[in-house]
Amino acid sequence: MESNHYSRIRRIILTCMIAVPFIPFILVLGTGYYYFANSLESSTTAGMKRIVDDHRQMIESFLNERKTDLEFVQHAFTFEELSRARTLVKVFGLLQAKSSAFLDLGIFDESGVHVAYQGPYELKGKTYQHTEWFQNVVRHGYFISDIFLGYRNVPHFIIALVREENGRKWVIRATIDTLMFNDLVKQIRIGATGEAYILNAAGLLQTDRRSGGNLMEPDHEYLPHLAYHKDTRTFMDEDAANRNFLYVTTWLKNRQWQLVVRQEKADVFKALRTASYLIIIITVVGGALIIAVAFYLTNRIVRRMQQLDAEKDQLSEQLIRASRLAELGEMAAGFAHEINNPLQIIKNEQTLIEMLIAEIKQKGELKVSESLTEIEDSIKQIHLQISRCGQITQAILKFGRKTEAKRQDIALNGFVSEVIDMVSKKASVNGIAITQQIQDEPLYVHTDPSQLQQVFLNLFNNAIDAVIARHGGKGGEISVETVSTDNRSVIIQVRDNGCGISPENLTKIFSPFFTTKPVGKGTGLGLSVCYGIINNMGGSMQVGSEPGSGTTFTINLPAGGS
Amino acid sequence: MEKMKMMLVDDEERFLSTTRKLLAKKGVEVVTATGGREALELLQQKNIHVVVLDVQMPGMDGIAILKEIKTRFPMVEVIMLTGHATVESAIEGLKLGATDYLMKPTGIDELVGRAEEAFQKRKRLEEKIRMAQAQKFLKFPRGILRAVEKPE
Repeated sequence: MESNHYSRIRRIILTCMIAVPFIPFILVLGTGYYYFANSLESSTTAGMKRIVDDHRQMIESFLNERKTDLEFVQHAFTFEELSRARTLVKVFGLLQAKSSAFLDLGIFDESGVHVAYQGPYELKGKTYQHTEWFQNVVRHGYFISDIFLGYRNVPHFIIALVREENGRKWVIRATIDTLMFNDLVKQIRIGATGEAYILNAAGLLQTDRRSGGNLMEPDHEYLPHLAYHKDTRTFMDEDAANRNFLYVTTWLKNRQWQLVVRQEKADVFKALRTASYLIIIITVVGGALIIAVAFYLTNRIVRRMQQLDAEKDQLSEQLIRASRLAELGEMAAGFAHEINNPLQIIKNEQTLIEMLIAEIKQKGELKVSESLTEIEDSIKQIHLQISRCGQITQAILKFGRKTEAKRQDIALNGFVSEVIDMVSKKASVNGIAITQQIQDEPLYVHTDPSQLQQVFLNLFNNAIDAVIARHGGKGGEISVETVSTDNRSVIIQVRDNGCGISPENLTKIFSPFFTTKPVGKGTGLGLSVCYGIINNMGGSMQVGSEPGSGTTFTINLPAGGS
Repeated sequence: MEKMKMMLVDDEERFLSTTRKLLAKKGVEVVTATGGREALELLQQKNIHVVVLDVQMPGMDGIAILKEIKTRFPMVEVIMLTGHATVESAIEGLKLGATDYLMKPTGIDELVGRAEEAFQKRKRLEEKIRMAQAQKFLKFPRGILRAVEKPE
């Protein structure tokens, strides 16, 4: 139940110590991550959008410029002039000088016949009346085609313009270098996976794709998103390999083409991923640290609590014992006092009998007989037993005394030496060495000297008896030493290497009338008197013993001096 | 040589009678009293040197009797006999002017010995007083006349 109690406290402290820092810790990291991710996403997306917008403008202005170039040519020259090969070569040279994107240049009459051509292919004289681009250009005035194969069977796209001259329409057409256009579009390179490409309204690729996908092939991946939309749009999509991509799309060239820029999400949010890793590492390390510290502190707290509780229990146990002893002492003292009066009378009566018998014997009125000797012996025995009773009652009265002791500062060093001198003869006769290890500097205890003397005498006498019981006439050792001192108390130990005390006796050792000595040898009050005295002095007394190896009495006394 | 006159004060009749017998056998002159009042009366009537006084008695307490004796008969030596084997209670008696203390149960020889000691002490004291007075009279012989006129 006890350990259950502690494990419950332990659990509570542990939970609090982990949860309290952990929750805000996680919240801070989580919130930080959330806002960081959001702002990163929006800023990255915005950045991509801006790039795409810029790119669209660049492509559109490129196409516009080419268209303007042709317009200029159409206005500067007449159909007749341009139909002449020399002029066309010259004009084409000028155009190419302006933009190397022009691949060829051709002039068509009203019926779609290729009147003049300057370029790498043999296209002169071919009729284009039924081609899509020719019909478109006649209808709309100008036309920029998607990529197509045409007569030359090479993917290309053209810019064509119509002009009416003297009631007759004619058309100028230029082919744009697909490679160059490709490069122009593909020049967007964002991160490791970023790519840009153009699709026409039918979903056919108008430029190469960096990640694979050739001109004029349909881009299946993108088909679901092909619908027209205004402005620039961003969205996420997954490819066949389950990779997430961020798409930014915009329509250009009069809704005919769509510019698509995409980048793998992991690539876009690389910083976010780094941040996530960092956050995970911080969480793991920080969490581990919190848990470790929590465990360490909890263990310390619980251990300290256990220690304090144990001390408290011990203290209350001591208090109970002390109060019990005090009660017992008071009772015993009253009892002893009452016994002393009758004892006095008995003693006097016994003395009288003794004297009277001696008198009668002297007068010769009593014959010396065996019975008389026995009577005399019996009277002597009465005398002996009365003395014994007297000793007991005196010991009880000493134990039970309640009066204030006369306290004074006693220099422990000299004091202990004096007490040792008192028992040294008895000790040396029995071959016991008494050693004294009291620190040299004057060490004072505040207590009653005669009482303290009694305590030491009692302890020494007990120790001598214990040593004799184990060693006989030699090899005994008794030591007195100060174990530790501070400003408030002095701890003294009296140690012997005698027979020791069994554990069951150890608990009763301070109880009055408890003795292991033979009948008539001890009153069983010595140690209880010591205990009472030390307690009265405001000190405490403990015993520790190992049967067969010795006993140690520890006395804690209030320190004196200053 | 003057013989010691002793008085025993105790509430136990049997103690008094037996002790009286024992003291008589030891050749000590003794009177007994069972209480404080009786003791004080006897002190007034007889010239008693040493009083052995039980500390705890019903009626007039031993300490009270001691105080009374010491104020009225300062020259009387008092030995406290106590059932309380505590030094403290004895010390209290000694402070109030008792000469000595004995603890119950005490042997008759011890009792006589201590009483004799007290008696000797008293005798020495009386001797000193006599000597002092003699010296005074030597310096101022007329003083004898005054001393005779006012004996106390």
